[in-house]
Amino acid sequence: MKVTKYILSVSLITVLVSCDSFLDVKPKESISDVVTIVDRTSAETAIRGVYSALADGGYYGTSFQSIGYLSGDNIVWTGSQSQVQEFINKRVNADNSTISGAWIAIYRTINRANNVIEKVATVTDPQLTQALKNQYIGEAYFIRALAYFDLARTWGGVPLITKPTVNPTDNVGIARSSQAETYAQVLKDLEAAEPLLPATTDRYRATRKTVWALRARYHLYQKEWVKAEEYADKVITDATNYRLLKPFSAFFANDARGTAESVFEIFYNGTTEVNGHRGQWQPQTNGGTRQWAPNDALVTLLNNPAVGGTRSSLVAKDNQNRWYGNLYYRNPASDPSYILRAAELYLIRAEARAQQDKLTVGLADLNAVRDRAGVVASAAATKDELLLAIENERRIEFALEPHRWFDIVRTGRAAAVFGVTDANRLLLPIPVQQLLSDKALTQNPGY
Amino acid sequence: MKKKLLLWGLVIWFPILSQSQNNPVINATLTGKIIDAKTREPLIGAAVLIKGTTNGGTTDVEGQFFLKTGQKLPFILVVSFIGYEPKETIVESNTVEIALNPDSKQLSEVVVVGYGSLERKNLIGSIAKIDPSDTKTIQAGSFDAQLQGKVSGVQISSNTGVPGEAINIRVRGATSINADNDPLYVVDGVFINNNSLQTIGTGGKATSPIADLNPNDIESIEVLKDAEATALYGSRGANGVILITTKRGSFEQKPKVSFNASYGQAKATKLWELTTGPEHAQLVNEWWINTGKDTPSLNRTFVNRPFRPVSEGGRGLSEEQQTYDRLGELFRTSSLSNYDLSLAGGTKTTKYYIGGGFNNQEAIIKPIKFQRASFKVNLDQKVNDKIQVGVSNSFTRTYRNQARAGDGPAGGLLQAALHTPTYLSPVNEQGVLVGRAGFDNLTLLLDNYNVNSTSLRYIGNLYADAELLPNLKFRSSWGIDYNNYNESEYWNNLLISGSPNGLATSSITQFTTWLNEQTLTYRKKIGTQHSFGVLIGNTLQSDLQTRTYAEGRGFANNQFTQISSAATTAGSQSWTKSNLASFFGKVDYSFASKYLIDFSLRADGSSRFGNNRQWGYFPSVGLAWRAKQESFLRDVQWLNDLKIRSSVGITGNQNGIGNFASQGLWTGGASYQGSAGIAPQQLGNSDLQWERTRQFNVGLDASILNSRVSFELNYYNKYTSNGLLQLALPAATGFSGYWSNAAEISNKGFEFVLNTVNVRKGYFNWTTSLNIAQNVNNIEKLPNPLRYGSRDLILLQEGTPMYSFWVYKELGVNPETGNVIYDDVNKDGQITVADRQIVGSIWPKLFGGLTNNLSYKGFDVNFFFSFQYGNEIYNHNRFFGEGGGARDAARVILASNNDRWQKPGDITDTPRPDGVNVNNYRDGGSRWLEDGSFLRLRSLNIGYTLPKAVTRKIGAESLRVYVAGTNLFLLTKYTGLDPESSASSDQNQQGIDLGTPPQPLGVQVGVNISL
Repeated sequence: MKVTKYILSVSLITVLVSCDSFLDVKPKESISDVVTIVDRTSAETAIRGVYSALADGGYYGTSFQSIGYLSGDNIVWTGSQSQVQEFINKRVNADNSTISGAWIAIYRTINRANNVIEKVATVTDPQLTQALKNQYIGEAYFIRALAYFDLARTWGGVPLITKPTVNPTDNVGIARSSQAETYAQVLKDLEAAEPLLPATTDRYRATRKTVWALRARYHLYQKEWVKAEEYADKVITDATNYRLLKPFSAFFANDARGTAESVFEIFYNGTTEVNGHRGQWQPQTNGGTRQWAPNDALVTLLNNPAVGGTRSSLVAKDNQNRWYGNLYYRNPASDPSYILRAAELYLIRAEARAQQDKLTVGLADLNAVRDRAGVVASAAATKDELLLAIENERRIEFALEPHRWFDIVRTGRAAAVFGVTDANRLLLPIPVQQLLSDKALTQNPGY
Repeated sequence: MKKKLLLWGLVIWFPILSQSQNNPVINATLTGKIIDAKTREPLIGAAVLIKGTTNGGTTDVEGQFFLKTGQKLPFILVVSFIGYEPKETIVESNTVEIALNPDSKQLSEVVVVGYGSLERKNLIGSIAKIDPSDTKTIQAGSFDAQLQGKVSGVQISSNTGVPGEAINIRVRGATSINADNDPLYVVDGVFINNNSLQTIGTGGKATSPIADLNPNDIESIEVLKDAEATALYGSRGANGVILITTKRGSFEQKPKVSFNASYGQAKATKLWELTTGPEHAQLVNEWWINTGKDTPSLNRTFVNRPFRPVSEGGRGLSEEQQTYDRLGELFRTSSLSNYDLSLAGGTKTTKYYIGGGFNNQEAIIKPIKFQRASFKVNLDQKVNDKIQVGVSNSFTRTYRNQARAGDGPAGGLLQAALHTPTYLSPVNEQGVLVGRAGFDNLTLLLDNYNVNSTSLRYIGNLYADAELLPNLKFRSSWGIDYNNYNESEYWNNLLISGSPNGLATSSITQFTTWLNEQTLTYRKKIGTQHSFGVLIGNTLQSDLQTRTYAEGRGFANNQFTQISSAATTAGSQSWTKSNLASFFGKVDYSFASKYLIDFSLRADGSSRFGNNRQWGYFPSVGLAWRAKQESFLRDVQWLNDLKIRSSVGITGNQNGIGNFASQGLWTGGASYQGSAGIAPQQLGNSDLQWERTRQFNVGLDASILNSRVSFELNYYNKYTSNGLLQLALPAATGFSGYWSNAAEISNKGFEFVLNTVNVRKGYFNWTTSLNIAQNVNNIEKLPNPLRYGSRDLILLQEGTPMYSFWVYKELGVNPETGNVIYDDVNKDGQITVADRQIVGSIWPKLFGGLTNNLSYKGFDVNFFFSFQYGNEIYNHNRFFGEGGGARDAARVILASNNDRWQKPGDITDTPRPDGVNVNNYRDGGSRWLEDGSFLRLRSLNIGYTLPKAVTRKIGAESLRVYVAGTNLFLLTKYTGLDPESSASSDQNQQGIDLGTPPQPLGVQVGVNISL
């Protein structure tokens, strides 16, 4: 019996001693956040992680994009998710799940960019050359600029976060900056990105030329017409790489991707990187829900040879004679998300020139886009006529892309075009969950 | 590695004590008679045993027995007989007459407790024991679903009429927001997994792993509720413990064969009432014109209304619309069959139980089916006087035809059948079957559904008991719960999910728990007054879950269904693991069988928590006073028993949080352009620790009037601190939250059980059991409110119960305008999110059950009601179905919407149709929040046992035939189909009814035979 007792006590001690290792279980699918960006490989994979956030369903995958076009006047809601109708009615509530998803996804992108900006600079790996470091950091600056640009134009001023969150106490309790301060951050990041990035052509990742294109749009929003024209011009002049393709559908139909039309588009491989956007547009026979669809007005415009021209390829009919949007159609779901393309730069330059009363060249830019769509040239003769023609052209050219709402808001024409007279409606509400999570945040007026 | 080996070393050894076997020497013979103390009648078949030996026998028809023994007189004789109190007598001469007193059954009932068993009279904790033979005919897939209303303080809701799906079970309320609230299930000492391994989306639903257990294999179920009872399961005990003991043979029992067979049918008693095509069209037109009046810029008028003549470009006049029935195509009268065959018996040193069962249940909606085949072997072997070894094995195959009976457009059965507008034809102009409203075509869905899962489950236990010294017992056991869960889907190109060229997926999830346990118990009586026991033990447990997944898209045609024939394929795998190490001890002491006290302590270390906080310590202390044993009560005739119990203790919870919740992690899954990418995944919290629930319980057990009336009363107060919570962070940080211990929750309540023997006269017996419980739940601390469920219908915030409904409160419909009057909480003249408020919760004010058992000669009748009172349920089908035309062709309209406001002066609570989320038709309006109280006739069984004379002729020991009904009657104000429905299995989204098949009314006939 003594032996038994002896064995028992030794065993108990053994268990006590070995518990530490027994209780130390590490995951296999993830790594500790203590050691993340330390060498060339991890820096390279981390910057891909930033693009992956940009590609998320909450951001350029679907939700953020849908804010831009649903809030316009081209789309009708045919499904059951009522947050969609709130955009179409232009009465978005603070508990709308789309704005909540977009807010979360955009800030997730910013945090990833902040990680790259902060950590890549400190890596000492001979494999990670200064040029590569600059490129990765420059790409992160560009993506952060795009993210703050999207936040500013949707919600106005937002909390400016420029350091990565490492502990739960980081970046909490930061109040909103003004819209002007937020746009200033955009410019600052674009200016930081520009010299760091190579002046190469890459349609899936940011280069110096991608920065120029976004700067063109940025200055257009700021009504800085000279600069908007200048930067749009920089890209358009590079005609070997960026040009309008004929027919209109050449940049998306027949599984096309990365065409010369595209300045920046997001790549999805359809398996590990899925673009769920098609599900909202396609009819059931194509595996979608057709949650929303082009409305009668848009269908009429697109099918009018004098207005839509070859842009009628954006819509198609299902087996119940219903129209559906066909920009996102691939199966598996590998449609690119188009962020900046040549037509936009032509129309930015057209508008910037028109605003500077350079009517002839402005009209020429507009007609370049019309010509590509197989539509007769515009005969706009005055500045106002030209600006209105550009506005209408953008409605059709970007019918299923996220521009219409932001265009009408930035030109101050929401009352005239959409009948939105309450100025408070021009900025969307801060998602209610964010207000509940952080006392430092304040709601936009009118919500 | 060395450490690991040592660790395993502990569990492999156990002392092999060889005891020398003596040749029998007869030192005494004994004859005796056992009689009833009151009637002096001989008792036939009473068991007689010489204490401390295995030597014994049974009494014959004269109540007599004869024993030969190697023991020398005097010795102690133990006599026991069903219905009588067992008695120990010191025998000094070789003839005895022993008189047994009839038993008040309650007190001597043996109750299984943590790591042991006790007679009920010695219980300190709050434990309910259920005999599953009462409930196993209830038509449900899993035994826990059959227990609804049977245990006071245990709230059980079957959220769907699909057999074998997860149910909601709460023992004394809910203690946690983000960790699990389910009780711990222990089968023959094995902590089994009760989290669904399902990965296929069926619209928020999940299968129940508890359905892998065959109810017929279960001998008894004990529900451990208070801290005294659960503290020995410390880390896992906060939500109660359900101990399942499976059937075993008995030593020296001759082989007994039992066979049960039953067949039944079930159907829904009520279906949704829908508008006809013309009614639907009329409502849409009305909505169209109303919105045109409200917003002239929309240009919506009578002239361009949607349902205008086809010649004017419309869809035809409303009265020209057809009505198509789809519900009738989906619902069916389902069938159920069940067979169980078992053999139990034993020799002097061996006992065995072998059982097999087969259960086949259809759901009341096509094509869902649940099938379980089970096989069980339990064996126990005495190696010698001191050592016994044994095994429990149960092997089950559960096969399910699955379908999406919950939310979600693709493949949703009730979306296709219920939510599709009735005026839309299932075929298009070319006569081709088409899906409408974004949903699948029902006929195509029913013809082509191909989703199924097979669960192979082994639950086993191997133990060895050794008596090291007199009164000192050692036990070592190994337990395994292994589950191989194999799912596959095939969607052909006729279905949304399979468009355009087919989709197939296959997934194999493997879950393995191994568990090793040692216990050492010592029990001793000192003199006649003092009795004490000591228990110490340790447990090591490891849970491992792995999954391999493959999918294929693009098939040549619908004949090819295997992923290998797909044009593109993809796959993935996952791995996750957690370990738990525990030590525990318990000391109990009783004085003169009057004063009982025990103290226990368990220490648990979990790999899930932060480095500094892995260990949690869970103590408890319990006291009981058997007042009836006091001299001043002993002679009070009308009082048969009185006991007062109290306990306080702390239990823990760690279930349901991620295995790596405390670790800051980056994921490798953030690829771009087909190349790997990394990104932050979650923030770490090295201080993450055990959720702790402190529970105080005070109870009283009493019986009076010759034990014909007995009752039990409990009051409890639970307070959970360090509550596991995904604490929300502002999204500006890049994270939505992190795991913390920031929540505090309380549950307080009482439980009352009343058992009465109403009639016990001759052959006629009638007993009644009633239980009523109340639980008051409250969130005591929560840093920021959390919203759950569709349209944020459920809000968790400090100061209100969990799962409260967060709605725009409607005060009624203005008879002049037809518009809803909302409660403008902040009085700012407009209705915004700030006006949402909490109106009611899913918690009932009272719930319980009422059972009646009647028997007369061979007849037995059992009927059982369960009830809930005072809970709310959100009728989300009405939310979609009473949109007044605003969803046009996208959703069905319920017939109840016909009562809408149409002209000034109309008094109704259904407003004038306007736009979605504009005013009258708002997400989260309170008019769809309904009273979910109900009274249900859960079961009614009528049986007849044939007289022995008849059954012996056909060679059977006994033969019983019966008819059983399930859910025969439902009394509720709820306008949906079933007030227990819940669209989601998510614990934070209970109480929202959307597209859920109801629990059906079922009837079956059956036979039990034993040979």
